[in-house]
Amino acid sequence: MKERGDGTVWTAGNLLERLEHREKFFVLDVRNRDEFERFRLEGRRPVPAINVPYFEMLELGGKEEMVDSVVASLKQGLAEQLPKDMPILAVCAKGDTSEFVMQGLRRLGYASATLQGGMKAWGEHYATRAIVETPDLAIHQVSRPARGCLSYVVASEGKAVVIDPLRHLHPYLDLARTKSLTITTVMDTHGHADHISGGPALAAKTGAAYYLHPYDAIHPMDVLPATISYEYIRDGQTFSVGRHELATLHIPGHTLGLVAFRLGDRYLFTGDSIFIRSIARPDLGGKADAWAPLHGRSLRKLLGLPGGITVLPGHFSSLDEADEMGRFAASLDDLKKRNDGLVMLQRESENGFVRYLLDSLPKFIPEYVEIKRVNAGLSAPAEDDAAALETGKNVCALSQAYVASGGGQE
Amino acid sequence: MSQVFDKLLDARGQNCPMPLVNARKEIGKLEPGQVLKVMATDRGSVADFQGWAKIAKNVELVGQETESAEGANVYVHYVKRTA
Repeated sequence: MKERGDGTVWTAGNLLERLEHREKFFVLDVRNRDEFERFRLEGRRPVPAINVPYFEMLELGGKEEMVDSVVASLKQGLAEQLPKDMPILAVCAKGDTSEFVMQGLRRLGYASATLQGGMKAWGEHYATRAIVETPDLAIHQVSRPARGCLSYVVASEGKAVVIDPLRHLHPYLDLARTKSLTITTVMDTHGHADHISGGPALAAKTGAAYYLHPYDAIHPMDVLPATISYEYIRDGQTFSVGRHELATLHIPGHTLGLVAFRLGDRYLFTGDSIFIRSIARPDLGGKADAWAPLHGRSLRKLLGLPGGITVLPGHFSSLDEADEMGRFAASLDDLKKRNDGLVMLQRESENGFVRYLLDSLPKFIPEYVEIKRVNAGLSAPAEDDAAALETGKNVCALSQAYVASGGGQE
Repeated sequence: MSQVFDKLLDARGQNCPMPLVNARKEIGKLEPGQVLKVMATDRGSVADFQGWAKIAKNVELVGQETESAEGANVYVHYVKRTA
């Protein structure tokens, strides 16, 4: 989709390009405060924004119609909070109210645009980037930029394996169609907490087999077995993709059944273990004390792999972690130098590293317990509820304040 | 348990901000003490009516409920004109 010719409507795709290219604009977000706090627009750099709920504009402006109230609010002081030297992007939940806000801004001469489909469309926007694309091997990184979720399509000789597919299936089905690929295997590196897996649905739709490590087919808090249908993944098991092979490494820590997949000495799909700037948190199963030491040992195992291998992670925390092509990938040697968690891993003793892990846990997200239920088939939310569970950016990584603040000193 | 109301605004199928924009208009036509029942299908209206009632003058949100009809949720808001 292209933006409207006059630049007044940006699609989620337009927005991503502008964020990636560090374009300057200002956000006037008219959702209610809770929604704004939970899920904000973020780019490579923080996007300057203010939050003025639309119903506050209605009361402040005191007019019956929305556009008139926007104009009246601007005249009564709101204008002083808006810059004049960059475009103002009006943002709301679904893109209807922001259209009125954009019109009000335009009426007073602001260069203004509306985000089409609102934060819902941004949250559900997908981007597909090629990590490598040769006749012999292709790896496509499929991301949900607003949520920081990454998934992969590995293809060779017309066959494809999909790793960690996200909730909406169209990016994978579209890719398979345009590249003439048959999806033979679908796998999850682990039972996800932050997003609803598209794995079982994609497997059912394509006739592919769906794989998961059996340890993650038990909900860690409910201690109930999954009702989804899946094949067991074992440590050391190999999966063929055309001319290539993916080898499984069981690396418990973030979950008990977490696995990584290794494609020779070239690529390592790390799931939720090593990310670009940080590493995964060990507490989302509610057993941080018991799982943190496992996490440390698994990470040390990965550190022993060839340094030239390219790490392809399951998440990112900021668009700024991408390279200039918008891809989230880096060599293991590179990450040993600049990944906060790996720096600590190399610096600390086993116990010291466990202490670092436990001292760096971000806030627990209550929705994650329910998302794990959904992924195990123990709960089946309606579309509205599924979307609400997935609101906002993932919080699967350790908080980064620890290294930055010089934490770890006794 | 259903709330007593004096007027019904059927805002089902309306997108944000129309349920709230239209509710404000209808509230203006009520006598103090009377209650407007608003039916909406926009899920966001639940939090928005709460946020709005906190800042709007002479308005009180006296109840909210979710009804399920034919597989779709209807979000119901009872708004009282207080003065």
